[in-house]
Amino acid sequence: MTAIDARAARDGRADRRNLFGNPAWLLLPAGLFLAFIYALPLLDLFRLSIGGPTLLAHYERVFSVPLYWDSLVRTIGISLSVATICLIFGYPTALLIHRASGFAKVLIAAAIILPYFVAILIRTYSWMVLLGRNGPLNKLLVALGILDAPAQLLFNRGAVLLGISAVLLPLMVLSIYSSVSRINEGLTRAALASGAGPIAVFWRVLLPLTFPGMGAGFLLVFVTSLGFFITPTLLGGPGDQMFAMHITQQADFLSSEGFLQALGVVLLVITLAVVAVAGRFLGFEFIWGGGQISQPGVTASSTGRKAPAKAAAGSGGALTSFLAEAIGWPLLRLLGKLPASTGSITVGTLGGFVILVLLVPIAAVIVISFSKSSYLMFPPPGFSLRWYEKFFSDSQWMASFVTSLTVAVISSVIAVVFGTSAALGIVRSNIRGKTAIMLLLVSPLVVPTVVLGLSLYSLYLRLDLVGTVYGLAAAHAIGGIPLVVVIVAASLQGIDPKLEQAATVHGASPLTVFRLVILPGIAPGIAAAAFFAFLHSFDELVLSLFLSSAHLTTLPLRLWADVNYQLNPVLAVVSTLEVLLVVIGIVLARPVLARRGAGHA
Amino acid sequence: MSDRTQSARSRENSDDAGRVAGAGRTATAIGSSISIEQVTRRYGGFLAIDNASLAIAPGEFITLLGPSGSGKTTLLNLIAGFQKVDSGRILVDGAPIQNIPPYRRGFGMVFQSYALFPNMTVTQNVAFPLRMAGIGRAETERRVAETLEMMRLSAHAQKMPSQMSGGQQQRVAIARAIVMRPKVVLMDEPLSALDRRLREEIQIEIRDLHQTIGSTILFVTHDQGEALTLSDRIAVLNAGEIVQIGSPIDIYQHPSNPFVASFIGESNLIAADVVSRAGSSLTLKSRAGVVFHAESNRQTEAGQVSVLVRPERVRIAPQPAAATLPAVVTSSLFLGELLRIEAHLQSGERILIRCTNNAVTAMPAVGETLHVGWDPKDCWVLS
Repeated sequence: MTAIDARAARDGRADRRNLFGNPAWLLLPAGLFLAFIYALPLLDLFRLSIGGPTLLAHYERVFSVPLYWDSLVRTIGISLSVATICLIFGYPTALLIHRASGFAKVLIAAAIILPYFVAILIRTYSWMVLLGRNGPLNKLLVALGILDAPAQLLFNRGAVLLGISAVLLPLMVLSIYSSVSRINEGLTRAALASGAGPIAVFWRVLLPLTFPGMGAGFLLVFVTSLGFFITPTLLGGPGDQMFAMHITQQADFLSSEGFLQALGVVLLVITLAVVAVAGRFLGFEFIWGGGQISQPGVTASSTGRKAPAKAAAGSGGALTSFLAEAIGWPLLRLLGKLPASTGSITVGTLGGFVILVLLVPIAAVIVISFSKSSYLMFPPPGFSLRWYEKFFSDSQWMASFVTSLTVAVISSVIAVVFGTSAALGIVRSNIRGKTAIMLLLVSPLVVPTVVLGLSLYSLYLRLDLVGTVYGLAAAHAIGGIPLVVVIVAASLQGIDPKLEQAATVHGASPLTVFRLVILPGIAPGIAAAAFFAFLHSFDELVLSLFLSSAHLTTLPLRLWADVNYQLNPVLAVVSTLEVLLVVIGIVLARPVLARRGAGHA
Repeated sequence: MSDRTQSARSRENSDDAGRVAGAGRTATAIGSSISIEQVTRRYGGFLAIDNASLAIAPGEFITLLGPSGSGKTTLLNLIAGFQKVDSGRILVDGAPIQNIPPYRRGFGMVFQSYALFPNMTVTQNVAFPLRMAGIGRAETERRVAETLEMMRLSAHAQKMPSQMSGGQQQRVAIARAIVMRPKVVLMDEPLSALDRRLREEIQIEIRDLHQTIGSTILFVTHDQGEALTLSDRIAVLNAGEIVQIGSPIDIYQHPSNPFVASFIGESNLIAADVVSRAGSSLTLKSRAGVVFHAESNRQTEAGQVSVLVRPERVRIAPQPAAATLPAVVTSSLFLGELLRIEAHLQSGERILIRCTNNAVTAMPAVGETLHVGWDPKDCWVLS
């Protein structure tokens, strides 16, 4: 009798443990949501693309019409160039952050991170001002006597490469920095003590050990650039059409159903293929820039120890050592002839240039917003608040502002609820295939937004959700959920499992453990995640282009219309307000970000 | 030259002949002399190294010993060149090195974290300094093989560091540090990450290595046992200052102040007043009123002193005698070959006793009264 009672009690406890100790069910809400609003439309996209007269009719058109084929080749070319530019300039910048200390480090890091959170549209808009015929760069070049008359600096390949690279540089810098900062400082010292000068230390120690970070950064930038559409539209000329632009242009014609979807599928497949190959070599963790999701009970340190072993085994091998002998050492001997200060001068110059390229556009829009001129001029002839008055008294701008705010709040609530639940589910359960599940959860980060917008458009038409606040918020949450999952999962893994065991041993029930140990631990992470999800929606333009209507105009949509129609200082006012929002957000989120950084080390 | 005489003098001063550096070694000493002259280093307002001076003889094995935060690693980093001195000079073989970058100093260095390049094999790691010096491939291979053989690592030559145990990794790090046969080898707590048995094993290896290669070795540790075992001389640091330099025996038996006395080994420090002095024989009265005698050649001012009696010098007498005091046992621990007994004198002073387990017939029980005493010669009077 007592034995049976004991077993019943034990079974009961086991059930409760399953609920809280192995909470795989927490993955369900996000899973169902994404399945319906993300996976289903993408499958539908594929279905429509093969719905022509023959299965591959639309695809044949994509690959036989030179316009699309050329554009595809051009897009890949531009993306490769952008990734290369970002690598060349991003590496010294990452080193600059790494080598700085104290307040300087915080400042430099902020100068890189801040632009990353400012909307792409705003940063591109600023380049249009800076590079314009009457812009400051032209004036400077004329004043210096380099040019006789202002030249057309916009609407060419150079402007596109500059614009996209400037947008994506922070991604590269952060990716390389996380790899550089993980290198034990003792290694640098050991190399120095072994007689290696600064250049040799870089060449033989730093560079080989940061290959994974460089690879991750290169691929992230490349893949993101593939789907770019805002920047090339605004900064490029007729010869700079990128693939994603065809999709938005064709979207205006209803007759192109099927073909349009084929274009989308092509872009999607290329993107996923690159990610798949990259994941094969780097591990798919590169997408979310974090470590592996460990099984409970496996401590972080033990997985951390395994990872470099894998990397070492991968990078070792005959080919690498042959390359090192054939190219590495001779080149080093050549480089060794350079003065020792070459390295730090290069880092300082290139890194400083990057910071300038990232900050000048933001500084420019802030200055313009206070202009007293009645049209766009840089530098402004004088300062006033007239454009702020205009913005706050214009009912259309205000209506867009309120719409954006509403959509962003709803969207971030959806993202935080589903994302946090999913993060708990994936980190705390014993479910198999965690990497695959994590991959599915974060995959919206790599799917080109244009493709996502196109696929959602068909779904929303059928459900009559086009132009609704909730529809738009849900669409924005697709990209918000991965952000929340990544951040909350990281803060969950930062909680020492021993704390939970300690609470349990001393009599806390699973719910109490959650309330007293887990929740306080992840609360800062949730707050930061909520902010990023909010910002993601607030800045979102591409999905909104597909899914809004004349009655539902968000702030980025109105900006977009104005940028295309006339460049005026109201845009600068909106941009300045957004920069302010980002600065406040980053300052508030700084403790969380700093802790996450410390956790990585 | 002056370094050599100075360190020789310090050795003469010690009562017991410590292990003598350089002399009596079969290998020809190739080490450098290092002279640290009034070196100061600040971090902001914090004085990490305060006017430190230290003369190290060629081929000497010297240990920088101190608690964490005492500045010993800072001092090593200043010598290695990873940090710059704020004032003072560091000379190697008489030449100042403050302005030479670390990679041109030609030292070998071993780190606590091993700091092996994870992207290189054992062979590549050990070959690194040779390749940096531009030594030819055949010569490099020969010297790497020789050094790996010496460190008993030949079987692991093609392994990656991540495939090896901590002890093996640290032996690779040592091999990398000595492969150039540097005149100076710096070791920054190289054994702290290892377990005790391995630590003792590698201690012996390092000691033998020093005999073989003859380099000057600067060894940083917070482990006093390690310092006593390995060093020709020990420099004890506290709060950025070098508080004592001497042979292990000297430092242990004749600490210059109560900090050194309590940091190295266990100690009974009795606060007492000098009652009278007759030649080298002092009569003292402890704060609690116990009168006892001590031998000291040092000139001590009359008044307050601290008297050090090492626990192993406290004797337990079978019967009460003239020179014994009754003490009530408060704790009694069996440490294997030794017993560690804590007792209180009637005056209330705590006495710590270490004795071999055959010095008493049975484990003294708590509450039992022992008769303890010590030889006046075993007292060391600290002013």
